[in-house]
Amino acid sequence: MALQKLRDMLDKKEISAVELTETYLNRIKEKDTKINSYITVCNESAISEAKNAQKVIDSGNSTSFTGIPVSVKDNICTKGIKTTCASKMLEDFVPPYDATVAKKLKNNNAVILGKTNMDEFAMGGSSQTSYFGGVKNPFDTSRVPGGSSGGAAASVSADLCAAALGSDTGGSVRQPASFCGVTGLKPTYGTVSRWGLIAFASSLDQIGVVAKSAEDTGYILNGIYGYDENDATTSKKSTGDYNCLVGSNISNLKIGIPKEFFGDGLDDEVKKAVLNAAEYYKKLGCEIVEVSLPCLEYAVSAYYLISSAEAASNLSRFDGIKYGLRSGLGENFNDLIANSRREGFGNEVKRRIMLGNYALCSGYYDAYYKNATRIRTELKAEYAKIFEECDVILTPTAPTTAYKIGQQENDPVKMYLADIYTVTVNIAGLPAISTTCSYDTNGMPIGMSLIGKSFDEKTLIAVCDRFEKDFERKEAVL
Amino acid sequence: MFNLELTRHLANLSKIHFTDEELDKMTEDMTNIIELMDKVCEFDSSKTAYSLDAVNYNDLREDNPKDSYPTEKIISNAKNIKNNSFVVPKVV
Repeated sequence: MALQKLRDMLDKKEISAVELTETYLNRIKEKDTKINSYITVCNESAISEAKNAQKVIDSGNSTSFTGIPVSVKDNICTKGIKTTCASKMLEDFVPPYDATVAKKLKNNNAVILGKTNMDEFAMGGSSQTSYFGGVKNPFDTSRVPGGSSGGAAASVSADLCAAALGSDTGGSVRQPASFCGVTGLKPTYGTVSRWGLIAFASSLDQIGVVAKSAEDTGYILNGIYGYDENDATTSKKSTGDYNCLVGSNISNLKIGIPKEFFGDGLDDEVKKAVLNAAEYYKKLGCEIVEVSLPCLEYAVSAYYLISSAEAASNLSRFDGIKYGLRSGLGENFNDLIANSRREGFGNEVKRRIMLGNYALCSGYYDAYYKNATRIRTELKAEYAKIFEECDVILTPTAPTTAYKIGQQENDPVKMYLADIYTVTVNIAGLPAISTTCSYDTNGMPIGMSLIGKSFDEKTLIAVCDRFEKDFERKEAVL
Repeated sequence: MFNLELTRHLANLSKIHFTDEELDKMTEDMTNIIELMDKVCEFDSSKTAYSLDAVNYNDLREDNPKDSYPTEKIISNAKNIKNNSFVVPKVV
């Protein structure tokens, strides 16, 4: 159900905040054993928050979030609620503070239903590397939900929350949204505060929204965006009112189709579906133009070098001493740290830390890290050139639809290459939104992405919404 | 060329212990991963300036003192505490 409709129902007292929350909690209890989308379900605190929300509604002072039940990815710190990053390292970590986004949800009396499952430390595209077991796709539980925000996307797709907060470092909101048949918005870097988001790659990380529609993502973004003095990378350019262009005429827009995104490696059904979406926009009157992003061929490597280099630094804080798993082995200081990290981190996290240190270490830094940053500069320039001509860019979200669990998660190179269509957006700091544009022969959702100019989420949401309003979306049946 | 010696060196930099068997597997994985990363070496870097300005820090806050968290909260997630201090193995 659309968030605005939920809002109306709550304000008209057609349902109480407690009844709504109980409905979701009961559904989680009944259905989540099939998909494992939550690591922690906040049964008691959610009811308590719902009771408080109802008091606010009764007083006539409700805001957009009051009483709306949401899920929060388990790498976003929530005061007093376990925040694990899906890692053994943080299995029992209880943050003493709220992330800025969590604080915004609470200040506006949203109801946090629980913390969603993910790839460990947000490193992955399948949500199978979680210490707490892999997440399954609500459309077909033998398939992955995508990642790393697989729990967030699955929880929305299976109606186990009204909307979800995720994080997107290289596609981690958009790709699982694509796999689970829902909408995922990655805002412009600097739009949403990262304070309290457990850092993976600080120059790429951005908190995003998974919801049932583009309009719903705008609805949530309106409540979480904004400058934060605790995050010096947040911008004052974000203006809010993200749904203000929904329903407006988009026929004068120019949509770019980058030819490099439609070459080898793209599944035929996905290609056909995305090009059909381009035809849809053309029929509306939009001008479709072929554009080029020559640097795409370097994007995956540049992304993994930059993100892993930053991860190697960010994750050095996990030493087993101040918080997190502490090994019982190790007679000296260094052994204690190295054993704690050995026991606490999973294989993919270890690979990323090793790769990051490789990229940064003497003898390799110039060839790898420095070149990756040059590619970043070049990619930004190529996008800027496209946006001189185009209003938005249309691409596939992923080369394939959701694949079978166990099919490729154990092959890191294969997994990395699957990120090809999403990583450039993070490298360039741009906003992008993924929505379902068709279903493949197995009934799995096919995702398309719209990429926008910096801080122009409004246009993206409007263009995406227009497609969604004319598209018959299927619901996952669990 | 990636080899076992380089894996040991990186494991040391990363402060992660590995068994010999795990080091062999990591060497195999890293060999494949670095092969993929080698793509960036093909990029013609002569026309693009090296820059670390990927992120804008344009709105730095005033450096005003604020209340800090109480000690008991800061140490609440540590596994070994004595007299409000983190306990570590003897260093000297």
